[in-house]
Amino acid sequence: MSSAKSVIISCAGIGSRLGLATTKALINIDGKSLIRWQLELFKDIEDVRIVVGFQANDVVEEVRKYRDDVIFVFNHNYFETKTGASYYLGAKDGNEFAIEFDGDLLVHPDDMKQLLEIDGEWIAYADKMSDDAVFVKTNEIGDVLSFSRENGDFEWTGPCCIKKDKLKYSSGHVFNQLEPYLPMKGIKIRACDIDTYDDYQRALEFIKRW
Amino acid sequence: MTKFIFDLDGTVTKQETLPIISKYFGIEAEIDKLTEETVKGNIPFIESFIRRVYILGQLPIDKVSDLLETVDIYQKVGSFILQHKENCIIATGNLECWVDKLAKKVGCCCYCSDGIIEDNKVVKLTRILRKENLVERFKSEGEKVVFIGDGNNDVEAMRLADISIASGLTHMPAKGVLSIADYLVFSEEALCRQLNQLL
Repeated sequence: MSSAKSVIISCAGIGSRLGLATTKALINIDGKSLIRWQLELFKDIEDVRIVVGFQANDVVEEVRKYRDDVIFVFNHNYFETKTGASYYLGAKDGNEFAIEFDGDLLVHPDDMKQLLEIDGEWIAYADKMSDDAVFVKTNEIGDVLSFSRENGDFEWTGPCCIKKDKLKYSSGHVFNQLEPYLPMKGIKIRACDIDTYDDYQRALEFIKRW
Repeated sequence: MTKFIFDLDGTVTKQETLPIISKYFGIEAEIDKLTEETVKGNIPFIESFIRRVYILGQLPIDKVSDLLETVDIYQKVGSFILQHKENCIIATGNLECWVDKLAKKVGCCCYCSDGIIEDNKVVKLTRILRKENLVERFKSEGEKVVFIGDGNNDVEAMRLADISIASGLTHMPAKGVLSIADYLVFSEEALCRQLNQLL
C-alpha cells in the first residue's frame, strides 16, 4: 500500500445523538467494537492515525488490543469542534494524502479496498439511508458538485481523500473542508453512518448482508 | 530546522534509570517511598528531585555512571537519533556526572543538571535543568521544536513545544502529559514514523 497515504479515523466526539452512553468507537456491532471493524479495513495501511478526545483512554485501550503502531492524535477541544477540526489535526503531520474516515462509519470491506487503491483525491458517498444526512449532488459521471442539507442524489458518508496541505483548522464539518475544492472525483460505495439509534439498528442489518 | 528534544528515561532508554541505581545500591525502599509520594502529588517534583540527588549523591559517581552506561536504548529511536544527530537533543534532569557515558552512547547533544563533585560524590546541586527553558531557547532561535516525553517533568516543555509527542514505550505517560500532548504513541514504529514525517 502506498506510503504517501495516511488514514485518519475521527473518534473524538461525544456521540450524543446515539444515546448509548458511550463514544461511538466502542459501541458493539455484532460482537465487535466499531473501531475494531474499522481497524480491520485498514490492516494493510501503515500510517493509521486515530483522533481521540471524549473517552480517549477507553478508545486507546480498545485500539491497543488489536494494533500497537497507531498514532493517536489528541483533539483536546472536541467539545467545541466538529470532525473538520479532527480531520485537520489528524492529517497535518501525516503523509501527503489524508484519507478521512468518520468514527461512526461502516463501509463494506470490498468497497474500502477499492477506495484504498485509487490514486489522488476523491469523495465517497452512498445510497440515502441515515436519519440526519448531508447529501451530495453529482454529475453524469458521478463526480461531486456540491453538498446540501436539503436534498441531493446520494448521502454523503465519507470517507474522502485530499492532500493534507489543503486542510485548515476549522470549526466546521469534513464536507466544509472539501467544499472549496469541488467538483471532485466521486465514488459510490456501500456504507452506513451511525448517528442515531435507528442508524445503529440499520448498521446491524447492514453487516448481516455482507 | 526541526529540533527533536527527547526525554531520556523511558523515552530513549528501555527502563527508568532511577530504580536501576536504587536497586543496585540497595536503597530501593527509600527511593520508592519518595517516588510514590511524588507521583501522588504529595511532594512537588523539584523538591523530590533535590531530595533524590541528596540520597544518590552519597553513592560513588563512577559506579553510577558505569551502571547507567549498561542501560538498553530503544533501537529504532537510537538509530533515528544517530541518523539525525544535528537535529536531536537529550534533555534529562539527571546529573551530567551520572549520565555522561550513557549520553555518549546515545550519540547526540545532551543537556543535564549540574553539581559539584568531591571525592567521587556529589556534594552540591548547582543547577537543575528546566526542560521548558531549553524549548524556549530553541524556539527563540527560530527552530521548530518537537518534544518527546512521558513524565510530569516534561509537561511544561511539551506545552511550549511546537509539537509534543507523549511516549508510551515504557509506561503509560503521566496524566499531565496526556492532557497537553498532540500525539500519543506506544511503539517505536509509530514514534519513528511520526518523527520522520516531522523532519
